[in-house]
Amino acid sequence: MRFWRSAAYAAAAIGIVSGISLPAAAQKEIKLGVIYDYTGPFAGGGSLPAAIATKIAIDMINERGGVEGHKIVATYADAQSKTDVAINEAERLLNEVKVDVLMGVFSSAHCVPMAAKVDAAKKFMWANVCVASAVFKDKNLKYVFRAQVHSDQTGEASCQFLSEIAKSKLKKEVKDIKVAIIHEDGPYGAGVAAGNEAKCKELGIDIVHKEGYAATSTDLSALVTKLRRARPDVILHTGYNPDITLFTRQAKEAGLKYIALIGHGAGHAQFDKLKATFGDDIEYLFNVDPVAAQLLDPKALQPGLGDLINEMVNRYKAETKATEVPSHVSMGFNQTWIFLTDVLPRAIKKHGGFNPEALQKAALETDIPAGGTIQGYGVKFFPPGHKMSGQNERSIPVVMQFVKGETKIAWPSNLRTIDPVIPLPSGHAFAR
Amino acid sequence: MFGFFSSLDCSLDIFFVEALLNGVLLAGLLALLALGLNLVFGVIDVVWICYAELVMIGMYAIFFFVQTVGLPLPLAFLLAIGLVAIAGLLLHYLVIRPVLDQPPINQLLVTGGLLFLLQAAATMAFGIEFRNLGLRLGSMNIGDMSFSWSRIITFAVAIAAVVALWQFLTRTYIGTAIRAISQDRQIMPLMGVDQKKVYLATSAIGGGLAGLAACLMVLQYDIYPQIGLQFGPLTFMICVLGGLGNMVGGFVAAFIIAQFITIGGSCVATEWGYAVAFLFFMLVIFVRPQGLFGAKS
Repeated sequence: MRFWRSAAYAAAAIGIVSGISLPAAAQKEIKLGVIYDYTGPFAGGGSLPAAIATKIAIDMINERGGVEGHKIVATYADAQSKTDVAINEAERLLNEVKVDVLMGVFSSAHCVPMAAKVDAAKKFMWANVCVASAVFKDKNLKYVFRAQVHSDQTGEASCQFLSEIAKSKLKKEVKDIKVAIIHEDGPYGAGVAAGNEAKCKELGIDIVHKEGYAATSTDLSALVTKLRRARPDVILHTGYNPDITLFTRQAKEAGLKYIALIGHGAGHAQFDKLKATFGDDIEYLFNVDPVAAQLLDPKALQPGLGDLINEMVNRYKAETKATEVPSHVSMGFNQTWIFLTDVLPRAIKKHGGFNPEALQKAALETDIPAGGTIQGYGVKFFPPGHKMSGQNERSIPVVMQFVKGETKIAWPSNLRTIDPVIPLPSGHAFAR
Repeated sequence: MFGFFSSLDCSLDIFFVEALLNGVLLAGLLALLALGLNLVFGVIDVVWICYAELVMIGMYAIFFFVQTVGLPLPLAFLLAIGLVAIAGLLLHYLVIRPVLDQPPINQLLVTGGLLFLLQAAATMAFGIEFRNLGLRLGSMNIGDMSFSWSRIITFAVAIAAVVALWQFLTRTYIGTAIRAISQDRQIMPLMGVDQKKVYLATSAIGGGLAGLAACLMVLQYDIYPQIGLQFGPLTFMICVLGGLGNMVGGFVAAFIIAQFITIGGSCVATEWGYAVAFLFFMLVIFVRPQGLFGAKS
């Protein structure tokens, strides 16, 4: 049964990619090119949930009559978890399919070169999931925008969280907390790790070890051995899959102990899959990521967003039969929704269309206050000339914790839904 | 490059010894992977670029037999070894045999094409999720050192497989024929050795070894369609380093590369361990293009 369900699921995923353009005879159209990893390691690492959520948002908009009388016609492309394929698909969508907007992109390794290329060609790109700050930092991009958080923020959040609970939970001064920073060595992992390092140093947290590794490594035992030698209190880990499962497995086998492990999105956001692999060993894991919208109190959001979240969750569960809805779903949905309901209508109404110039002007006028999106944060983009031009200056990540099979918000304190469990309780596989 | 020297820290403590021994254990698996590929190349003179994908098929077969059919693990292991042995046989009969007399590049391309076909087939059949059997075998502690049982078992089985294969090649009629063909493909058929049967037997044994590697890898790694890309290049590098087709050379090369990965990773950084291993490989190939133990052609 499980086999056939998997087969059907994979076929559906591939069908999404190959099916695809839905021409509307009488209605005006806006062409979106949506790039995600539908196959390869990134697909299982969160890209597929984000892709499905993006499609859900587009379908919902079309069901509501489209955008200013235009039907959204999406062409979905599979980057296959390969950078060269992602770039080729971007070029195909822009030059052959002639899409008006390029959207999506899961991996920062794809996002960094793609954004530069698209901007140089003066085409418009709306990045949904990739988080590397390097996409925008000092690039002065004009036609690429991202409402999603960026990796510097993600890296900083875990250190800020630790500093705020140092005395109350860890019974330590901030300077006495020892952390190790480990990360996959692509733009995503390196970007988050740089954020970790800068913020932890600023706060006076002791960094006892920092190391990158290739996500395709066949062996991480040497890294585990070095962590056992360095004895960090907290491990700040950024990775995809299969490196996260390989590390966790080898860490347990080697008897690595710590008081907390804080992941930073991607593979760590897939709590249900980690639970299926490691059982209770994965309990009390922290993860820094843009929040999964369904975890927020809808009363803290603008009216109507609670219902929108429910519809997103219901449609996602109906389509995938999943029980857990990872934060990648909210990322894929939220970014698409912001573009289709805020930027695109303004471009058409106020700037006369949806060419890159009109879309750029409309994006720069975006001014959504905190609580105005399903993930809680507001949206306002850094303007041209700023070192992060094109990046949302109002985005914020949260620190989540996986407790007894449920995901809770541990930080920031105004969104907190759980008193964080730290250090790991005695009896836990990794507890000291 | 400066990062390399600044992060150099090779304390000769108990953790260094642990890294060293972990390298030995890792070498067992790499040696087993190289063994099957070397056997096939040594006898048939064709490189199965898709060898690691056969391992992947074996891992999925075990997952299917255990999780879907509900078979006990030992039986699933035996069936998987048999299944991949048959896959190896079919690979030779359907894919390799038609291009045996063609240039090596054509042979590489067809097995390379099969690599992508098998990955796509696995994606269609099992989806893009990472699978595993949820096995946790624990570890053995010696003082402050810790070694996982899954690695120890893998190492022991790999060594046993090497010994068993050697016994088979030296003590059986078909094994002797395989060795004879590997020494001279032109002359031996004239002396009555049925080359086609030997090729089929070799392919089945090569596939069986891939199946055995699959049994050991499900103890340590997640199963996903692209796992072959994680191990394939490394396995191929070990075979070339040892001398393509030379089983003893592959065995020694596996230990060298594994030590680069673990000791290099321990003394410098994990990513440098791989980089230095590949640098060493390049230097050896510059000096000895035939590999450490390969004979000049």
